[in-house]
Amino acid sequence: MLTEKRNWGWHVLLILIVMAIMLPVLFMISNSFKTLQESYHAILQLIPAKPTFSNYLTLNKQINLLRMVSNTFLMAMIVTLGKVATGLLAAYAFQNFHFKGKRLVYFIFVATIFVPFTTVMIPNYLVIAKMNLLNNVIGVALPQMADATGIMLFIKAMGKIPASLTESAKVDGIPNRKIFMNLIIPLLKPSIISVGAIFFINSWNEYVWPTLVLKDKSSFTLPLALQNYISSEGGTNFPLAMALAVIMIVPPLLIYMIFQRYILNSISTSGLK
Amino acid sequence: MANTGFSIELAKMSKSYNQKNNVIDKMDLSIVPGEFLVLLGPSGCGKSTTLRLIAGLEAPTGGKVLINGKDASKMNAIQRSIAMVFQDYALYPNMTVYQNLEYALRVHKVPKQVRQQRLTAILASLNLSNYKDRYPSQLSGGQKQRVALGRGMAKKSQIFLLDEPLSNIDVQLREKARDEIQKLHEQNGQTIIYVTHDQQEAMALGDRIAVMNNGKIQMIDTPENLYHNPTNLFVAQFVGTPQINVFKANYFNHQLLDESGAVIANLTAYQDDGLQEDTDYLVGIRPENVQLTTDATKGDFQVEIESIVDYGRYKQLTLKVFDRLEIKAVVSDWQRHGNQAVYAKLTSKAILLFDARTHERIQPSRKLEPVLE
Amino acid sequence: MLNNNSQIEEAVNSRYGPRASRKPRRRLLPFLYLLPSALLLLVFMIIPIGYTFYLSFFNWNLIAPTKEFVGLANYVNVFTDPTNQKVILNTLVYIVLLVILNFILPYFISLIVNFFIGKMKGPYKILFFIPSLFSLVVGAMLFSWILNPVSGPLALFLRDFGMKVPQWTNSGAMAIVVICLITNWKVFGYNFILLLTGLGAVPKNILDAAALDGVPKWRVIWNIVLPLNRGVAIYVFILTIVQGLQYVFTPINVITQGGPYYGSSNLLYHTYLNAFVLYKTGNASALATVTFVIFLILLFIEIKFVEGRHKDAD
Repeated sequence: MLTEKRNWGWHVLLILIVMAIMLPVLFMISNSFKTLQESYHAILQLIPAKPTFSNYLTLNKQINLLRMVSNTFLMAMIVTLGKVATGLLAAYAFQNFHFKGKRLVYFIFVATIFVPFTTVMIPNYLVIAKMNLLNNVIGVALPQMADATGIMLFIKAMGKIPASLTESAKVDGIPNRKIFMNLIIPLLKPSIISVGAIFFINSWNEYVWPTLVLKDKSSFTLPLALQNYISSEGGTNFPLAMALAVIMIVPPLLIYMIFQRYILNSISTSGLK
Repeated sequence: MANTGFSIELAKMSKSYNQKNNVIDKMDLSIVPGEFLVLLGPSGCGKSTTLRLIAGLEAPTGGKVLINGKDASKMNAIQRSIAMVFQDYALYPNMTVYQNLEYALRVHKVPKQVRQQRLTAILASLNLSNYKDRYPSQLSGGQKQRVALGRGMAKKSQIFLLDEPLSNIDVQLREKARDEIQKLHEQNGQTIIYVTHDQQEAMALGDRIAVMNNGKIQMIDTPENLYHNPTNLFVAQFVGTPQINVFKANYFNHQLLDESGAVIANLTAYQDDGLQEDTDYLVGIRPENVQLTTDATKGDFQVEIESIVDYGRYKQLTLKVFDRLEIKAVVSDWQRHGNQAVYAKLTSKAILLFDARTHERIQPSRKLEPVLE
Repeated sequence: MLNNNSQIEEAVNSRYGPRASRKPRRRLLPFLYLLPSALLLLVFMIIPIGYTFYLSFFNWNLIAPTKEFVGLANYVNVFTDPTNQKVILNTLVYIVLLVILNFILPYFISLIVNFFIGKMKGPYKILFFIPSLFSLVVGAMLFSWILNPVSGPLALFLRDFGMKVPQWTNSGAMAIVVICLITNWKVFGYNFILLLTGLGAVPKNILDAAALDGVPKWRVIWNIVLPLNRGVAIYVFILTIVQGLQYVFTPINVITQGGPYYGSSNLLYHTYLNAFVLYKTGNASALATVTFVIFLILLFIEIKFVEGRHKDAD
């Protein structure tokens, strides 16, 4: 009685949850290959009777898909690289130097996680507008290139590198810049990959701030384009919208399939102090 | 209320985590009620797993555990009547010392008055009365260890399992804690299984000691017999500090010869029947049975003294023999005699012989009288 | 020996500059590493908070060259205007629903997975997490398809039983529930993993000790596991509110735009509406400042319970 037994009842519940989570996604993929008519009449048929690419072709005619994909990719890439670079530098400063007011600076950094975006969106909008960066993905990316969550995750990862390693390098007279580039960065590779992957996925999906900055359709990212296909009054052409959504979910899914273990590890540690 | 403890019997008990190799391999062990048994072995030998299997924290993959003569697989924690002290104490961090001791009793609805009475006595006997409202994080290692002991005592179980309970406390406190555990055993008469990797601790505590290695019990006997009459090379080497000297020798005509052909020892008559002529054996000799002398008699061999460590009570010498072998000797007194040649004599009665291949002990034909220095 | 040392020192100095000249650079060094993120956070986080606070005392339309100083009028408006009041009330409803769906539910499931099913933890973790990879716009689209009262799969399914899916976009309350379900779809796996990790950090020996004490499992969870996991739980609880209120913004904007009659709006969405649709910048800034203060209070709760944890552990 002390040892664990398998309990099928609980597994049934958990499998139901998996289905509730996954079935909408599977139906979305399936419907994106159905015609509008088929999607109405064979709504619960998971495998389309006559799979068709027509939705994807229609999409490509209606909007400049390639341009939107590259807009989104460019924005997510800039944000990711920016966050990783600034995060690594800041984490190294917090982890390896002692300076006056370090605790306070760290506290302020972490506190920025709790700032609601509505509190900063008006001034940021005004600044980006002044810089003539509206309708430009750089305007979306710029305010987001520093991120306290990333700094915290990198500090945690650096904390696992034995202090004696950097200390012995310092004793050998190696300058900080080289310790950082040649020692810390290579050792942090797994955590850079996972944190970078998380940043990229989040940025790829980002919606709120881009809606403020990107008004011109040619500058749209994919989430904004998808929103245009959803009508609040009903009458949405769902197979069409779903085709666009499928295009949107492929890159994050691919990244997850490759780096799943790294990503889940990073997320797990983010909760533990 | 004094109790007599439950008997414990392991019948071909096995445990495997990967269905390939057994961590515990068909172990047979029988422990009588009220016995103090020590499980001794190097880390990873399966001793803690054995304890967890007895406790029911894990289920054996083969064989049986019998507690008080009954199959334990269907028993719950209460029926097994087991208390256990973990190596890291496993105190409930969110409860005070008193609450830690009280928790199991409260869950099982022991009346408040009984609880109070019992716990007050236990806390007093462990010198913890002043700490009863503290949390584990506010205690020292020794105090935590006593709380863990007290929590086990509070349950008045028939079986008490201790998993390396003293390995996390300071050396100075250990002896005192050992005495406490022994006192506890004398007072309550529970069956105790005590796991340790420290042979001195094992020798000091156990009625019997079971030496384990590779998931098997190598030998189970009194401390005295383990030391003087080990059944195999592993036991001989694991028990005793400094470690027993072991070297290869050839048996020939009632003598043990080194590779170079020099005589190392003469064997007495009863020691050598059953030995094959001109065969290699492993010779084991405890350091205190290596005697040093300046005038050689037959069978002695010359040694070179490499180093002397003075431990006060005794001196430990490292000797070089035939420019090749290193053996250790322990003597109560040794003065360097200039450049005089030094000879070693192996007390022949104390020589242990092992099969070179199986490492099993080759027992002398007649019961050996223990040699005590 | 001495000679040797000074030689080394010389070599080091010639390579990286003498000691004396390195000192001031050394003191500046940490700030050089901090500079990029500090600058970005200052310009796009800290100064904007101050500027929003400043704007909250003015009447402005985001474009006009002049701003009219109105004192505390915007704040008075936040608490007296019936629309604002409705929005604040909605925010509370959102918080309650988010906590139930995105905190209590995943916590319960993580307890089941950690303590009651033995193996198979890995596959559930991997599968539950998948929606966290997707945009909330996708979630909003999926739910408006599933729950479409005319042609959605649920409507078709219920039709066989003579039931209907209500026009949920016409009711603020129902819209709020659906919007919370959309964020639940996305956040469930993420919070589940955080909580499960916390539960996994409870020392196994302590659970074994309780099992040997004959304590029933749910009681071990209640008396020992939940108190020990309090830090992680509070972290996820706060995250649920702080992140959740921002997450619901997307489905609100995609599906209801806060309607009907502000019935599904909340503080954050209403701030956006005031700022960028109604061009009432002052009102928006006051709302934003109030939101900020609420989040600040949550931050202090987090510090008190979560950051204080290592002190206990030391």
